[in-house]
Amino acid sequence: MQDRPTATELLDALGAFMRDRADHARDRWERFQFQVAANSIAIIGRELEMDYAFMREEWAGLDALFGTEPVPQVQPAFAARLLERNDNLSRRIATGEFDGEREDELLAHIWATVVNKVRIASPREIP
Amino acid sequence: MHEASGTGRVAVEAARAYAGATADISTPTKLAGGAMHDSWAVDATRGNETRELVVRVSPAGRADHEKTQREFEALRVAFARGIRCPEPLLVGECVTGEDYLVMARVAGDTNPRLIIGDGRHASARPRMIEQLAEDLAEIHRITPLDVAAAPGIRSPEVGEDPLRFERRLAEDAYRLQVLNPHPAIEWAFRWIDREIERLEPPNRDHCLVHGDFRIGNMLYDEQGLTSILDWEGVHIGDTDEDIAWLCTRVWRFGRNDLEAGGIASREAWLSAYERARGRTVDRSRVAAWEVLQNIRWAQITMMQARAHLDGQTVRHELAAIGRRTAETELEILRLAGVEERVARAG
Repeated sequence: MQDRPTATELLDALGAFMRDRADHARDRWERFQFQVAANSIAIIGRELEMDYAFMREEWAGLDALFGTEPVPQVQPAFAARLLERNDNLSRRIATGEFDGEREDELLAHIWATVVNKVRIASPREIP
Repeated sequence: MHEASGTGRVAVEAARAYAGATADISTPTKLAGGAMHDSWAVDATRGNETRELVVRVSPAGRADHEKTQREFEALRVAFARGIRCPEPLLVGECVTGEDYLVMARVAGDTNPRLIIGDGRHASARPRMIEQLAEDLAEIHRITPLDVAAAPGIRSPEVGEDPLRFERRLAEDAYRLQVLNPHPAIEWAFRWIDREIERLEPPNRDHCLVHGDFRIGNMLYDEQGLTSILDWEGVHIGDTDEDIAWLCTRVWRFGRNDLEAGGIASREAWLSAYERARGRTVDRSRVAAWEVLQNIRWAQITMMQARAHLDGQTVRHELAAIGRRTAETELEILRLAGVEERVARAG
């Protein structure tokens, strides 16, 4: 196990540094650069904290649409299979498979998944 | 120092090509903005007459001569009609591969955060929405025949619904740029197709479309609009495309209470346009266009992230834009009524 500071604590320190540089920037361009950098660091922090739970939710949503599939126990395999399942979902939407009565079911899953992505990427966009 | 950099040197050459070999050309000053081009302010003096110019230079490799010619031609037609836009003076290309567009310089600011939030501009905002409506209506009076000299201008077939045409192009661009699966966008394409079938097709002839009609492309001062910039995206199509683009969430810069570019309510914008144009706007069709325009913005966020990931333009801010796809998907779902549908189905 790694020593303190934890990854989250290191990110917080980096984020504070970037925000300070933004506040004391010499011009608009430099301020923008540091604001974006601070924002990216905040995204990574939220992702470390929340993404595993969101990926499990997404997996459960896909199970509800397509039938249950055991969750791969190793993280890289889990992420890779989730990507494949989303690819498959996308293709099936594009061919019209969800145009009829299953559309509400599909939309509930899509809405929940997108809201979770936004909770990490741009939480201010969620009222 | 400026002369040493490539596009600044081109700006001086272009100003001389316009003003003549004997003209006195000032040291160019680089203007803000533009990921694809560099713009330079430069003065050309002959005797006691000085012409204030902007020279926009596309670096070799990024220059698209046909596109620059097309923009020049659209500007020429628009300026002649009294639309607030830069007077185009000369278009050309260098043997070294750059191309340039020489325009008359117009005073004003382009920082959207000032017109949206600044107290000094409070009285400019209502005036500006009327001016935008007047000028957009005038742009839309330009017919395909009027811009027949513009090379390679894209256009739907005669009689084809431009929404159907642009939706097809948007999907082609999306398939080319997509970095990972987006079920929300796949569904949104199905939704638009159903809307196209359901809605009355527009009963009007195709017209010139500005193609990037948003607050960030407007030059303004405390009196309101001074000039409409960035005509790179001009094409033939339908009025509602420009009307909807001004309303897209990303170009409100956080002022989501004022849906028309962060300066006016959606209804104030639509009715200003109706007054200027003298006919009604079909809100349902604008709504369908707005979903498509958000898909386009999502595709642009992917394209920018891809430019970084491919190593073409390695910049962290381009990488970060890739994470704005998610909020755009959320907006697409909201606009297509998904939030209410999910709440109802509960």
